[in-house]
Amino acid sequence: MENIYNPIRCEVREVITESPTIKTVVLTPEKEFSFLAGQFASLTVPGVGEAPFTPSSSPYDKEKLEFTVMKAGRVTEAIHNLKSGDIVGVRGPYGQPYPLDKYSGKEILLVGGGVGLAPIRALFLALMETISNYKRIVFCCGAKTPDDYIYKDLIFDKWQKLCEKNPLCFRITVDRKDEKWKYNEGVVTKTLDGLDINIKNSVAVVCGPPIMMKFTTLKLLEIGYAENQIYLSMERKMYCAIGQCRHCLIGDKFVCKDGPVFTYEQIKDKPNIWA
Amino acid sequence: METLYITKRGWDSFIKGKAEICNIFAPFEYEGQLFYSRVSPDIEKDIVYNKARTVEPVKLFFSPFKERVVPEVKELTEMVIMGVTACDINGLKILDRVFMGDDYKDPNYANRREKTLIISSDCLSPYPACFCELVGTHPYPEDGFDLNISLFEDGMLVDIGSDKGRSFIGEDQKFFQASKEQINKREQNRKKTSEKIKENNRDFELDDITRKLKGAYQTDLWKLPKDIENCVQCGSCTNNCPSCVCFLLEDTGTQETMKKVKVWDSCLFPGYARMAAGVSPRPTLYDRYANRLLCKYWYMIENYNRTGCTGCGRCIAGCAGKIDKRKVLTEVLRERQRI
Repeated sequence: MENIYNPIRCEVREVITESPTIKTVVLTPEKEFSFLAGQFASLTVPGVGEAPFTPSSSPYDKEKLEFTVMKAGRVTEAIHNLKSGDIVGVRGPYGQPYPLDKYSGKEILLVGGGVGLAPIRALFLALMETISNYKRIVFCCGAKTPDDYIYKDLIFDKWQKLCEKNPLCFRITVDRKDEKWKYNEGVVTKTLDGLDINIKNSVAVVCGPPIMMKFTTLKLLEIGYAENQIYLSMERKMYCAIGQCRHCLIGDKFVCKDGPVFTYEQIKDKPNIWA
Repeated sequence: METLYITKRGWDSFIKGKAEICNIFAPFEYEGQLFYSRVSPDIEKDIVYNKARTVEPVKLFFSPFKERVVPEVKELTEMVIMGVTACDINGLKILDRVFMGDDYKDPNYANRREKTLIISSDCLSPYPACFCELVGTHPYPEDGFDLNISLFEDGMLVDIGSDKGRSFIGEDQKFFQASKEQINKREQNRKKTSEKIKENNRDFELDDITRKLKGAYQTDLWKLPKDIENCVQCGSCTNNCPSCVCFLLEDTGTQETMKKVKVWDSCLFPGYARMAAGVSPRPTLYDRYANRLLCKYWYMIENYNRTGCTGCGRCIAGCAGKIDKRKVLTEVLRERQRI
């Protein structure tokens, strides 16, 4: 019998500092690790602990695996302290991915805030591989300050260039700008004002801190999105990641097994979803 | 199901023989309570049959409080566990679904289940805290065992529940086919115990509990039963529960050899669902207490199509705050009835 808790060994190739609190670790798994955008993996720092993260690299990239992690506790601090050459463990992938077949032919609104841009990045890269399947992508990004933005080289440069040849546009904001900032100022929900989207033929994908997800969902409902058109990427304390330890339950739903991607309709009646 | 009869003396000598070749655990009495202990060939007469449940749940044998899961435990031995009451058998049904039901099988649990023979037994002297009849189950097992024994006058009836059970008995000449009369007599004994449990629980009302608890998340609702504030969040109820499965994983290895240890956890602990940044979806005691009961009587039915409470009463008997869950539930359900 295969041991479900046995992680795949991965070598840390590089640790990229994205912002004062967020780093991206680039890993080379010893065995191939395939996942679909939105699924997550459990990342083990040997001797320290294990925590769930959604990979932020492209699901099509079989050479490396990236996780973008905010320093928030014991395990994430250990991840921030990793050096190239270190060994970590990864098991997964787990959970339900973004249902890309349902997004076909639609205008896709991506809304990411802070470190919540990490799973959105994997989704965005997957969508770009088959961009002809979709009508358009509107990518709304937010962060507290310009300095807090992750993937600066992508969001402000490389991905902008993709807009020329693809049905893609960005709406970029920060809560508090500085003198060099040339985009919008205001919380990420502001980027949803004056959207030129045919909402009936659209889906919205939201990932960010709980308060951002709450107000973005409320705003989306206000401008006409239906509850089942809003896709949320949920987070909970988690250990086993396979529906056994019961830590991640939101009401009767397992974040690890039924999620982490839920429509708002699926969880709106569950207790304390924005905690 | 095939039912055999054996005299008590015949059974004692049968078990004495088995104890010489297998690892048998059975209930023994200590200060008026039952605890599992290893049966050595000279103490088989002291085994307590058909009294009531043991203090510790049988899950301890299959999912110990703390054990290594990476790498998995290799040196597992075969076991026979005797005297398992229906409430614990029903607990194992939940554990089987959780740890072996889906694509992911817990290696240690599945290996132990495979290597263990379960001899269950009827419960004849239930404790005041026992309430299996209130959750739709009975004080005698109907399936889920390899053998079941019912003490009967000067002997016992032995139900054969599996091929494993049948081969444990083998060709032993001390067993005979049970008569219809003996089986009828046992039914009467069983009914008597059921009635006794119903009588002990006449002050409590848990009818239609799942429907009434659906959506009962409100913190204020759980402030109504005054007893909940006596909860000291010690985790006794979850540790003693035959169907509480929650655990956490600890990493103890190095980069060369990664090791993971599985440790029981309790949803009553404030840190149970607390996330890295310090936010908890269940910040108050009332939210956590509610969560445990909602998990038992609603979530587990959604997840496994089976109620998570077996009515064993260990959470009541072992509660440091002397909370009677039946009273709490009766009060909450009454309130839910009104709205």
